[in-house]
Amino acid sequence: MIIDRSHRGWLIGSLLLLALGGVLYVPYVLFSVTGVSGGSVAGLIYAGVGSAMMLFAGLLGFRRRHRIWRIGRATWWMRGHLWLGFLSFPFILFHAGFQLGNGPLTRVLMVLFLVVFISGIIGAVLQHFMPKVMTERVPMETVFDQIDRILDQLADEAEHIVSDINRALEQEIDREEVAEPLQAPGKTGKAGLATAPDERVSSKMTAFFKSQMKPYLVSRRNRKQLLADPVRAAAAIQQLKVLVPQSLWPKFDDLENICEEKRQLERQRQLHRILHGWLLFHVPASYALLLLGAVHAVMALRY
Amino acid sequence: MEQDFSATFVPRQQIQLTIDGKRVVIDGARGETTTIFEAAQKNGIVIPTLCHQQNEKPVGVCRLCVVDIGQRVYAASCVRLIEPGMQVKTSTEDIQGVRRTLLQLLMADHPSPCARQKLSGDCELERLAAQTGLSGSPFAPRAVPRGQDDSSLAISVNHEACILCDRCIRGCNEIRNNFVLARRGKGYQAGIAFDNNLPMGLSSCVSCGECMVSCPTGALTNKKTVDTNLGSGDPISLGDLQKVDVFRGVSGTFLNLNSNAVRRRTYKAGEVICKEGDYGSTAFYILEGKAEVFLSSPLAHVNTKGGKGFFSKLKTILEPSDRSPSTGPEKAYIPIDAPVDLPYNNRLAALEPGDLFGEMTCMNYYPRSATVRATTDCVVLEMLRNVLDMMRRNRSFRARIEQKYRQRALESHLRGIPIFSSVTPDFIANLRDRVELRQYSPGQMICRQGDPSHSFFLIRIGFVKVTETHPGGDLVLAYLGRGGFFGELSLLGGGVRTANCIALDHVEAVRIPVEDFNAMLERFPEVRRGLESVARERTLENRQRFMQIQSVPVDSFLSQGLMEAQSLLVLDLDKCTRCDQCVRACADAHDGVSRLIRDGLRLDHYLVATSCRQCKDPLCMVGCPVGAIRRRNSLEITIEDWCIGCGLCANNCPYGNINMQPIQVAVNDPARPGQKIAQVTTKATACNLCPDHDEPNCVYACPHDAAHRVNPRDFFAQLGKPTSKGYRP
Repeated sequence: MIIDRSHRGWLIGSLLLLALGGVLYVPYVLFSVTGVSGGSVAGLIYAGVGSAMMLFAGLLGFRRRHRIWRIGRATWWMRGHLWLGFLSFPFILFHAGFQLGNGPLTRVLMVLFLVVFISGIIGAVLQHFMPKVMTERVPMETVFDQIDRILDQLADEAEHIVSDINRALEQEIDREEVAEPLQAPGKTGKAGLATAPDERVSSKMTAFFKSQMKPYLVSRRNRKQLLADPVRAAAAIQQLKVLVPQSLWPKFDDLENICEEKRQLERQRQLHRILHGWLLFHVPASYALLLLGAVHAVMALRY
Repeated sequence: MEQDFSATFVPRQQIQLTIDGKRVVIDGARGETTTIFEAAQKNGIVIPTLCHQQNEKPVGVCRLCVVDIGQRVYAASCVRLIEPGMQVKTSTEDIQGVRRTLLQLLMADHPSPCARQKLSGDCELERLAAQTGLSGSPFAPRAVPRGQDDSSLAISVNHEACILCDRCIRGCNEIRNNFVLARRGKGYQAGIAFDNNLPMGLSSCVSCGECMVSCPTGALTNKKTVDTNLGSGDPISLGDLQKVDVFRGVSGTFLNLNSNAVRRRTYKAGEVICKEGDYGSTAFYILEGKAEVFLSSPLAHVNTKGGKGFFSKLKTILEPSDRSPSTGPEKAYIPIDAPVDLPYNNRLAALEPGDLFGEMTCMNYYPRSATVRATTDCVVLEMLRNVLDMMRRNRSFRARIEQKYRQRALESHLRGIPIFSSVTPDFIANLRDRVELRQYSPGQMICRQGDPSHSFFLIRIGFVKVTETHPGGDLVLAYLGRGGFFGELSLLGGGVRTANCIALDHVEAVRIPVEDFNAMLERFPEVRRGLESVARERTLENRQRFMQIQSVPVDSFLSQGLMEAQSLLVLDLDKCTRCDQCVRACADAHDGVSRLIRDGLRLDHYLVATSCRQCKDPLCMVGCPVGAIRRRNSLEITIEDWCIGCGLCANNCPYGNINMQPIQVAVNDPARPGQKIAQVTTKATACNLCPDHDEPNCVYACPHDAAHRVNPRDFFAQLGKPTSKGYRP
């Protein structure tokens, strides 16, 4: 979610809450008899407030799962998740007295909290610019789940185009064979071409498709392949293009477009993973944090 | 005490005249264009004619229809308009003498028996001559023959038999708009000609046969039968066809030409004659036996889920919404392509001998609207469009169809109009007999914006496009099908049409004259009040829409038909994280099938998602055989639960926004009475903006404030001017 002017209310509210928490923390530190402790009254209040904020932030998952329940717009829940999740960190620090804690549980909790907090910050930052990057760098973007299907269709389309080219070349060969006796020796069949089309071009096309294009289109790990580089791809296709009649050149342009679309879809896959990859840490760490936090609360209060 | 409404219906203006001593009264508005011939025909008085034919503009050439109106010269009744107080005599001795002489003159040059008389025995000239008692002519035939033209593959031209009635010319020009035929020469050299007097086979003639069908004599006859083949069924001979009463009066030449375009079929009791949703091109006419027509598709609807749990109920208590939940369909009858409509609660009706069904399928190639099954052993005629077209032009056939419509369907149509819902049954019964049925060809303007209004229309078959003319172009307001109506507001608001109404295909409409309409308003004041309220709302909507149109630079977004949209689902790609929450929310709300695709046209950094655009010109609505896809008095397009799943709307939508969704329903198990069985039926589905909620589910579920339903004009006008709340409409 992009934090823009529409978050003004949340920002002001959060700053006020933080200021209040901070203002109350100073006398707590200065005048505490037993010292700053998570089990003190002030510490427990900070823990309660911080936990409530974390709990609300955690409820975003529940809201996302029940998408059509009319319990507040998802946008409002996301804003709450961002700001209250952010605010929970200083409040928990206030609760912990800016310490890691004495036992392994509290230390693990703090580490988890840091993971959740930092991954959340990273996610929020990514969401500020990655969508724009995707829009600009992937004009041929499609639905992420459909990428494999689209790539299969591209491979089929490329195969059909290559078949069409070969068929056209065969017809050209037949025409040349008929017209050959009528030509003066030494003349080329078409003006402006280096060589007349022959069977070798057709087999070159087929070999190019089988060895380069099809593997490139169907494979996923293909950074080192020839067609993954737009410049090298254009050069390779151009080398074939000049061997055929001009009437067939638009088909080679189509092949180039297919390769470009494949590159863009792979780029989309990459960017999509970057945009969503941080969730692989954030979500499980959040659940673990909430669970262990509950254990910590029970253990700390009871024992 | 039974109330007599006849006095209520006395028109304010009427034309009274006398024909052969019989008092004839013609309605004021209609009287202005009624000829003596038409007035006589309506009152059962037959005036012979040769050059006049229904559906063609009269020209008064043959003079056989002359009548005595008390003036110095006799008037040709086919062109002379009636006047108040006119005294007409159609068959005095003098007039009969005149006709006899005319027939003798015509028969002098006529090669009796002509080709038509030999082929089908219905040459109109020879028939009239026989009726008059003429066996030959005392006049000498012409010395110089006019010749024949056999250059056409389909039609033989015998100028000897031509009586220069011009019916072929009018048929070619007025009916078919081919403009091949015309007159050539003067006086005794006059004749008909093709293009610049070319032989017919070398002209631009397309051999449609209209000239031949129009020709009253054997001047234009067919050379061969049209090679149509309806497949199975028994062929029916010309003689047998002419015995069928609906084909009496239809040109024998035409029937002979198209003998393979009509077949006799027999069905045993229980056999299905046609199935709903199937595409076809034929109509059926029941000769013997009975059939039933019904909708076999179970009523089913994918309701929009969500918002019915505890929190929503609580929200409703805390914040009562202005929106009332959808309570079901407004129509009590489902319009189908048959003489009768089906009641919503019991979708079954009976068909009897003389009933015609499948007109819309035959004329306009729409899918079959219902299933017809023989209840007893049945004999039907199945016919192609050209035969049905000819039958529809036959006056007696049309009268029969009209009568059936009045008896069986008109009342339900009238009751289906909200303004007639509170009118008493006696009033409806009176109105039923006074209304007029009119036919309109595809593209014909029924009424034009700004013209004075004299009537209110109710559609029997076909589709009517209602548009509003603005400086930037025409705005489509609605497509109206069977049971639809228009014209009521203009009658109320000073008598000027507020929109253009154009026949999209072959339309038949019931016309209720202004006098009867006003009588209803006087008699039932609540109807007037209801109508005035609707008129106020619509005027306000029109004004707002007009202001919106004026304020927008229309050239900005003409691509991909965005200008046609009234509501777009727009995703801000700079905010959208491609989480697909919008798509999943839509699927969750609609039985797991999403009505939107997060892909489509891109403009700047916005994506116009593939989802129903609630188009101004809803092409999806055209041709629905059961009127299931429609707009209620609001923006969203609704598909009702009696959709038969034919898929026509999905094919019509140019943006692929309508999908055919399989829905599981529980129906009675025929093998186990009292038990239910699951059956999968297919229904059309499209985004309907989740009408039970303030916001569509897709927008509500977007966590990044990226999805918005916007009015495209407002949205694109504000592009580049973000507000603090984004682009919410």
